[in-house]
Amino acid sequence: MSEHRLTSVGIDVGTTTTQVVVSELEVREPAGAGKLEIVSREIRYRGTIHETPLSGPETVDIDAVARIVEDELAAARVEPSGIETGAVIVTGETARKDNAEALVHRIASEGGEFVAAAAGPALEAVLAGQGSGAATRAKERGEIVANADVGGGTTNVALFDADGVRDTRCLDVGGRLVRFDSEGAITGVSEAIRGLADDLGVDLEPGTEPSTEDLDRLAGAMADCVIDAITGPPFSDRTASLAIGSLPTDPIEVDGVAFTGGVGRLVHGDPTDPFEYADLGPTLAAAIRERAAELPLLDLDETIRATVVGAGTRTTELSGRTVEVDESLLPLRNLPAMGVGDLPEEDLETRLEGVIGEATERYGPDEPVVLAIDDVGPLTYDRLTRVAAAIDTVWTADGGGRPLLVLTRQNCAKALGQALRRRSDGRPLAVIDEVGVADGEYLDIGRPLDGGETVPVVVKTLAF
Amino acid sequence: MSDKRAKDRLDGPRDPDLLERITDRNPSRLGVGRAGSRPRTDTLLEFRADHGIARDAVLTNVDEGFIEETGLVKIGTLIEDTEEYLARPDRGREISAETAEYLREHCEEGPEVQLVVADGLSSSAVEANVPDLLPILLDGLADRDLRVGTPVFVEYGRVDVMDAIGEELDADCCVILIGERPGLASAESLSAYLVYGPERGGPTAKKSVISNIHQGGLPPVEAGAQLVDLIAEMCERERSGIDLREDDREFVTD
Ligand code: B12
Repeated sequence: MSEHRLTSVGIDVGTTTTQVVVSELEVREPAGAGKLEIVSREIRYRGTIHETPLSGPETVDIDAVARIVEDELAAARVEPSGIETGAVIVTGETARKDNAEALVHRIASEGGEFVAAAAGPALEAVLAGQGSGAATRAKERGEIVANADVGGGTTNVALFDADGVRDTRCLDVGGRLVRFDSEGAITGVSEAIRGLADDLGVDLEPGTEPSTEDLDRLAGAMADCVIDAITGPPFSDRTASLAIGSLPTDPIEVDGVAFTGGVGRLVHGDPTDPFEYADLGPTLAAAIRERAAELPLLDLDETIRATVVGAGTRTTELSGRTVEVDESLLPLRNLPAMGVGDLPEEDLETRLEGVIGEATERYGPDEPVVLAIDDVGPLTYDRLTRVAAAIDTVWTADGGGRPLLVLTRQNCAKALGQALRRRSDGRPLAVIDEVGVADGEYLDIGRPLDGGETVPVVVKTLAF
Repeated sequence: MSDKRAKDRLDGPRDPDLLERITDRNPSRLGVGRAGSRPRTDTLLEFRADHGIARDAVLTNVDEGFIEETGLVKIGTLIEDTEEYLARPDRGREISAETAEYLREHCEEGPEVQLVVADGLSSSAVEANVPDLLPILLDGLADRDLRVGTPVFVEYGRVDVMDAIGEELDADCCVILIGERPGLASAESLSAYLVYGPERGGPTAKKSVISNIHQGGLPPVEAGAQLVDLIAEMCERERSGIDLREDDREFVTD
């Protein structure tokens, strides 16, 4: 097989907006690569930007989102059955809604056979930077590029270098955290921002009309944290208190900064009516714009659609060209990865028992997990035989409920897979190589691309 | 060889990370600097050393002990010595009548799969890769219930000697693991050529090949496992080479 095209969908259900893009991924084997790679990504259809439909303050209207997706796919002239890969991501505050999990799983399963469900601010940060073009710029120029995705509910910053993602910093800062009616009176305030408001002595009582000065102070403090998140470490206490997850500790100097997301887009543009979107967005954007004057600002390809473009074009990876899988197992979805690290030279069983014990504790007995091995050791016959025997012993002792699912970074899936199959007594099996995944991440594995064995893989986080 | 080259980089590059990303990409002699218009002494010595390794791979023979330990039946072609081997590829493809007789005496006849190992253009490739590749291959073929003949080692062999051996032993399918022409980046690269229905003078188009087998390329264990699948497919569909991939090609008529 020399060339193949994959139709991929990206769906982003964010705090404020819901978006759909359809793209085409070109798969080929670049000279000397020894494996298939995605060599180009073309957006075929850019959907309209819809307001995320809510059916209550803490619930997303799943049926309405499903209708948006259905209509957009019809407008793009693609059948769900024609969609081969992609991702649905719930982002910002939407990820914290009561029915977020049900939402992504439903949309993913209706979106096409192999559309992944994903969530989590760090993933969102990375996808936005990949969608905007920040990652490509970092790679092409060997620079450190920060992508700050400022949306309705959260701000997610990802720093890229030539090798990929350096780190991410995520904050509870967004334009929709304070909402107004047409008169400028407050209609809603998100919990996440109350602490900061109290700290500043800004009264956000619903029904009241805060002064411009108070709103500027609030937006100014939020903007300070956004800039701090880009230029730190070190970070101010206030930034740390708004952080979602951990913040990095090693200082890095950035060469370029791009703002994306609904609010991020306004940073690049001219000032707008502060209440145009009935929220704090334009005020926050203006405050960031003022403070960002000192930063090396970049104008990249995508702003408001950065995350959805990232979800649609960057989530799929391809495995090595030869793998060992029972096709009846595929597609596999939402498999938790158990990081094994580098396999030790001796006492493989002890290490693997530990990992399987941990899997039972985390996910329950017999729940499928993928054993993610960084380094199996030297790729020799004796070593692979030894590793296969150890995995089989530990799996058998575990009770036999779990399929044998193994992922390696080195190119050895077929050899290890055959050695396992010989021992495993007909137990279903999938061994896939040349993909890296970290402990606690999740994995979707699709059916082989036609004419070969290469399988599409989506590595993701699920933060429910 | 690339780790040896690591020291031989430009002095005081402005962006060492960038240089490393470029030089890590492939094993070519990139970013090695220069002395005036000539290569630096280190670079030149390394180039000569690599060339020496490549020549050695061609000019030395596979260790007798290795052939014995691996349990291979050793035969020769019509070639007498290395010089003749290089000058007369045609004689490296044929075996004498006595050798054919010897083969029939010492090897199982009519196997489904005949395995051949040959020095080809790199004896180092054979010694480096066959110990890990062959046992994986034998395990896998046994799993598929394929009847494997007595593995043979050929000294001074060319690829097409597999046709003569396969024909003499009446094998359904023949596989040769042979040292590739060495380059200046690796002298340890092995290829596997495969044919279904071996016959002397058969077209190359009927052969399949898996190349670039070495620790820095396709690891020998993984190559062994791939060969298992490929051989099983060849035996099942009773074809090899282009015929095996026919349905992958699109012919536009009219
Ligand atoms: C030398 C060489 C050639 C020479 C062979 C001349 C000769 N008499 O030695 C020439 C220039 C003719 C050649 C041609 C081709 N080659 Co060539 N060749 C090589 C090379 C550089 C070294 C081979 C070697 O060391 N052989 C070992 C010695 C001992 O063998 P030999 O008996 O002396 O020579 C035989 C083999 O070399 C064999 N052979 C050479 N190439 C090919 C290709 C295929 C598909 C097959 C079945 C056999 C074959 O034919 C020779 C005569 O019997 C390899 C690179 C590598 N990494 O191996 C590529 C390589 C084997 N060739 C390749 C290709 C694609 C071809 C061509 C199909 C190119 C084309 N599009 O026309 C043709 C097909 C040949 C044919 N139909 O007869 C590919 C195979 C890729 C693959 N995995 O399928 C390789 C791996 C290069 C690459 N990396 O792309 N080749």
